[in-house]
Amino acid sequence: MSRQRFVFATLAPAIAILAAIALASTAGAVWFSLMNRTLRSPAYKFVGIYNFERLFRDPRFYNALEISALWEMITVVGALAVATALAVLTVETVKSALWRNVISFAFLAPVLLPRVAAAFIWRFLYSPSLGLVNYLIGLTGAGPVEFLADPHLALYAVAAVDIWQWGLFFAVILMKLLETLPREPLEAAMLDHASRWEIHAYITLPMLRGPIVSLALVKAVESLRSFDLIFVMTGGGPGVSTETLDLYAYQVGVNLGGRISYASAMAILLLIVTNVIFAIVWRRVKTWTV
Amino acid sequence: MDGIIGRSLARVLLALLVFVAIVPIAWTALGAFKQLKDIVTPVPKLLFSPTLTNFVTILENPSIRDGLKNSAIVVSVSVLIGTLLGVPAAYTVSRRLRHWRDDMQFFVLSLRFMPPVAVAMPFIVIYLDLGVYDTLGGLIVVYLVTTISTIVWLAVPAFDRVPREIEEAATMEGCGEAEVFWRFSLPIAAPSLFGALVFTFVLVWNELLLALTLAARNATLPVVAASITSLGKEVPWGVINAATVVLVMPPLIFIGLLMGLLNAMVGARSN
Amino acid sequence: MASIVCSGISKSYGGVSVIENLDLEIPDHEFVVFLGPSGCGKSTMLRMIAGLEEVTSGKIAIGSNDVTHKPAGERGVAMVFQSYALYPHMSVAENITFGLRRQGVARAEIEKRLSEVSGVLGLQPFLDRRPKNLSGGQQQRVAMARAMIKTPRVFLFDEPLSNLDAKLRERLRTEIRKTHLALKTTTIFVTHDQLEAMTIADRIVLMRAGRIEQQGTPDEIFEKPATRFVADFVGSPAMNFCRARIARNGAAVKAVAESFAFDLPSANFSELAEGREVELGLPPWRIDRADAAESNSIGGVVVLVENFGDRGQVIVDVTGAEMSFVTKQFRDLPRGAAVSFAIAPQHIHVFDPVTGQSLRQACAT
Repeated sequence: MSRQRFVFATLAPAIAILAAIALASTAGAVWFSLMNRTLRSPAYKFVGIYNFERLFRDPRFYNALEISALWEMITVVGALAVATALAVLTVETVKSALWRNVISFAFLAPVLLPRVAAAFIWRFLYSPSLGLVNYLIGLTGAGPVEFLADPHLALYAVAAVDIWQWGLFFAVILMKLLETLPREPLEAAMLDHASRWEIHAYITLPMLRGPIVSLALVKAVESLRSFDLIFVMTGGGPGVSTETLDLYAYQVGVNLGGRISYASAMAILLLIVTNVIFAIVWRRVKTWTV
Repeated sequence: MDGIIGRSLARVLLALLVFVAIVPIAWTALGAFKQLKDIVTPVPKLLFSPTLTNFVTILENPSIRDGLKNSAIVVSVSVLIGTLLGVPAAYTVSRRLRHWRDDMQFFVLSLRFMPPVAVAMPFIVIYLDLGVYDTLGGLIVVYLVTTISTIVWLAVPAFDRVPREIEEAATMEGCGEAEVFWRFSLPIAAPSLFGALVFTFVLVWNELLLALTLAARNATLPVVAASITSLGKEVPWGVINAATVVLVMPPLIFIGLLMGLLNAMVGARSN
Repeated sequence: MASIVCSGISKSYGGVSVIENLDLEIPDHEFVVFLGPSGCGKSTMLRMIAGLEEVTSGKIAIGSNDVTHKPAGERGVAMVFQSYALYPHMSVAENITFGLRRQGVARAEIEKRLSEVSGVLGLQPFLDRRPKNLSGGQQQRVAMARAMIKTPRVFLFDEPLSNLDAKLRERLRTEIRKTHLALKTTTIFVTHDQLEAMTIADRIVLMRAGRIEQQGTPDEIFEKPATRFVADFVGSPAMNFCRARIARNGAAVKAVAESFAFDLPSANFSELAEGREVELGLPPWRIDRADAAESNSIGGVVVLVENFGDRGQVIVDVTGAEMSFVTKQFRDLPRGAAVSFAIAPQHIHVFDPVTGQSLRQACAT
């Protein structure tokens, strides 16, 4: 088969499907956001940017934006902080390869779970009456903590689950990276009487700056898709204290009267934000890996 | 931080964290075998008489069984099509598209990271209008975006790692384009490709939002599982735990089966 | 076996031209080495002949066939890669026989050729192994076997020994040479190592920046470098260079500088005018210790003596510049000692200081 035909035959189907679906959803979202469709009635008419105007006057939308932003920050920073600290701790404390592998396996387990399963597991653990966590807290004499029912705590409680899955996973990645760093600079530093922590702060971690930033950015994009976790754990509640943008969009589009057009408007905004962040991510990652 | 005390403290901390990683999962698995009364105790019980009733309830529940079946169909088909289309495409991107490679990867990745909401909302309406709402086929089509883009994204680096010179040597022995791909690049990249396949399978298996919005009645397993929790006050924790275990099992089995298959294939080839 | 003719070959990437209008003829049975520094285009030329790179313009003919646009598999050439490029998912035997199996050659024939080739290269004990279980030298021999078994018209070697350690490199170098003497297949061998080139080539094509700087037998390249670049590239230790001016006295030609005055053979340099600026090339292996009173001598102060075993390299400071020469009598030369050395007129190379071209004229005889 000639080169030209081969290239075409292999690329065309995949790209065609991807483009078609992507186009359909984007065009569809734009189209519907300009209408006032609901799932209840088939009648609809063109309303221009009405949906967007309503969106910008919608306090619940702003709440969702705020919650999403908070969620992003907590999960990204949390995951990376945990990952870095844990990777350094493990590499320093455990020298034998066997034990390191055992620990790696342990740390990999949480991320392999489906989000839904992780949600279930921790809902169980957080339960005020039946959960392990409250049992342990009870041992210290403090009262049961309503992790998922307290509006102040709920977001952090759910974020903790996210960090549990991703932070430990990233720790394994960073651990592997630390292991593959060239030994010579570290040995030179040791000959200069640098302490363990100085070595990490000034040499190994800066050397890993590229991958750490990449991981942070990957996490940032991944955190935007946290619907599964939050939906199962709290459904957006209590109240709207854990309602991120995609949750709100879902509620609006599917639950509360199926106001698809309104939901589409939100979806478009989310799409734009995601693409912008992703474009930034892409450029950054490129410079670090080149 | 050096010194004996520092070191043992670090060890304890590490052990604690390993604990935190494993215990929740183990605890749930344990809970799946407990009767309700053993779960509802204020002091967590480690010793109890195990029972399989939770699993029985789960597996006898028709919606769970349907959910399992639907998940199996939807995920397998979309991953299969995704592989058939995605792997050759990834090879071409890796080998032949010198100039557009980065743009291709950007395109593919941006689709991979597209928020599911943005896909779900418009497609609800599209499918309703087309009359294919709530069908497995409709769900498969939408999942193709995820499977194709994920497989391409992960397969391109796999093909990058196949040394160019090996493909050149094959070309010099007379092999055409398709033959080099089929006989050399593919077998050599196979282990990494396999990883991509498994990752994609697990990804789509666990997918909730799209399934929830587009196939409420022909629900896949995650949807069914999610709906169990919104059952009234008497939350059947034992059943839920069992459901969680059931939820996790198929991907694990799939991974296990494929690993066995791959080992058998690699073993057979070297004979 | 076939000859190779490249006419007017040009190659450019994007708008950047790397090879311009290159002509080259390689007669049948010859072992040609493409030599040159990195980036000179030698690998590119090889790959174009192999069919792995497109020719931007020009023609390549192998034997009597124009192969310029033929795919790599149809040119009747076999190539040994720098990284060996063995197929990792096949055994050694499968690697070697793949090409023949693919062409549908009969089983019996394949078996016969396999045992011949693996016998010659000592690969019999390894036939069932995977490439990753072989050493570098063994992998290289498998790559060679894979090329040899197809009895191609041309062998192409792309720096095949660069990844091996020195001893192994020597041994395989000799193996390749012996194989060529036995099979007599036209061969092109690419390397950047001038010593390697000198030992195995029938003819060397020395390339630089996409052009052929000089081509000839190893002796020709060594004794009669056509340009300053060639003189600098070939030979070890490196050539000494210094500026001088021509002084004429009737038919006699002398090259004169601040610290020396050298006689030059008048037959080769009779056309050089008085006062002409030149650059002299003085091969260290042609210089030896001498009395200060001898003709063509030059004096200086010893900076360093390097012990090569039976000979030594003496590095001398001559009025500020450093020169070196090789001699057997190096053991009594401490640092700082004064030393004189001389060179016979016929061994001095003369180059134009601007163009680098050799100014030696061919003798009329």
